[in-house]
Amino acid sequence: MDCNETHRLLEAGTDGELDLVHQLELEAHLRTCPDCARRAASLRARHTALRESLPRFTAPPQLTEKIRATLRAEGAPGPARRPAPRRSPLLWPIWSITGLAATLAFVLFAGYAWGHARARADLLVDDAVSDHIRSLQAGHLTDVTSTDQHTVKPWFAGKLAFSPPVTDLATDGFPLAGGRLETIGGGPAAALVFHRRQHAINLFIWPATGGALAVRQAERSGYHAESWSQAGFNFLAVSEIPADELAQFAGIFRAKMP
Amino acid sequence: MEASAPHVPPTFEQLMLPHLDAAYNLARWLLRDGPDAEDAVQEACLRAYRAFDRFRGGDGRAWLLTIVRHVCYSHLRRNRREPVAETFDDEAHGSMHDPGEANALAWHEVKSAQLRDALDRLPAEFREVIVLHELEGLAYREIAAVAEIPVGTVMSRLARARRKLQTELLALAGKEPSHGL
Repeated sequence: MDCNETHRLLEAGTDGELDLVHQLELEAHLRTCPDCARRAASLRARHTALRESLPRFTAPPQLTEKIRATLRAEGAPGPARRPAPRRSPLLWPIWSITGLAATLAFVLFAGYAWGHARARADLLVDDAVSDHIRSLQAGHLTDVTSTDQHTVKPWFAGKLAFSPPVTDLATDGFPLAGGRLETIGGGPAAALVFHRRQHAINLFIWPATGGALAVRQAERSGYHAESWSQAGFNFLAVSEIPADELAQFAGIFRAKMP
Repeated sequence: MEASAPHVPPTFEQLMLPHLDAAYNLARWLLRDGPDAEDAVQEACLRAYRAFDRFRGGDGRAWLLTIVRHVCYSHLRRNRREPVAETFDDEAHGSMHDPGEANALAWHEVKSAQLRDALDRLPAEFREVIVLHELEGLAYREIAAVAEIPVGTVMSRLARARRKLQTELLALAGKEPSHGL
């Protein structure tokens, strides 16, 4: 890693946002370059100053009680949502003006909440696509490079709390190229890399404990994504190959999954 | 990509009340007022509770913070204490990677009160990324989920917020940048 790339990655490195390989390369460069090491020290000083000198406000004890009371007034426990009696003294003016205003606000919020659930799902695709692009840009497709599924699968053991299903699809025109560690939606994921002609397919796999993914296709600026859930895992395949080829890949992987 | 719920879901209180400090901290920094922040968190919890059957699991903190943020921005807009949701172009403000600039300030000499004043002077969109990242320890992706912006925008906004914070600090200290630590 040279000084230019170090400058580019230093802020993300100080923020703990680099993948392991780049982090190690960054640290190796800092050991040999006094200029970059000084910059890094300055960033760390800033990080420490912000974290230690800015107050983190904590919720006053009475707030928790007020919230519990509000929830009880709403009919807690239970996730069922029902029209609530308006407890206006505790709430803001918009809720207390009239029942009409409250109803309107509720309808707006229902729309927002639907959009939010949608946005969360979209975010996983955004994550996967940006991981895919970064893996291509950084020339860092694989941490373990092997066309042998019996080499790739054991490589993940000890690096992840789960053992992802690994299968080679070379006979179907999608040879396995290797694997690496990734993060999807804030959690660890295995990325299997397959080749299709000169293109790469990243297949992200993580446990479906946070909710199973529905079968869905998505497109982001020319990249295609296809998600599904199977055998307790979520799968999200991303590639620049055409959507129908990616769907073919997903279908074969689903059918051949060990 | 809708999720199903294969297991018995935890209750709203179990999932959300552990994040009240994070919710209050964000609201307190955004609204710059204790009682307003309490009202905002309370309203956010009520909204979250009413929408809880649509919570798909995953990160409860990010979900609650997203709602807190919406409530706070509505409040700021209503009260017009400051211009909010100004259209700003994160990408149009130079390089997002300029770690050298941190050298312009001796961070270990900065006083806590100055830092707090400086952060209070930043627009809400910059305050929130600093608070979420430095105080709440959220990763770029978590901030992206809370602020509903792409990860790349989080990175550039955070870099810009740090530069602005530094500019405010230098202005408060009334001194020119001195190079080196």
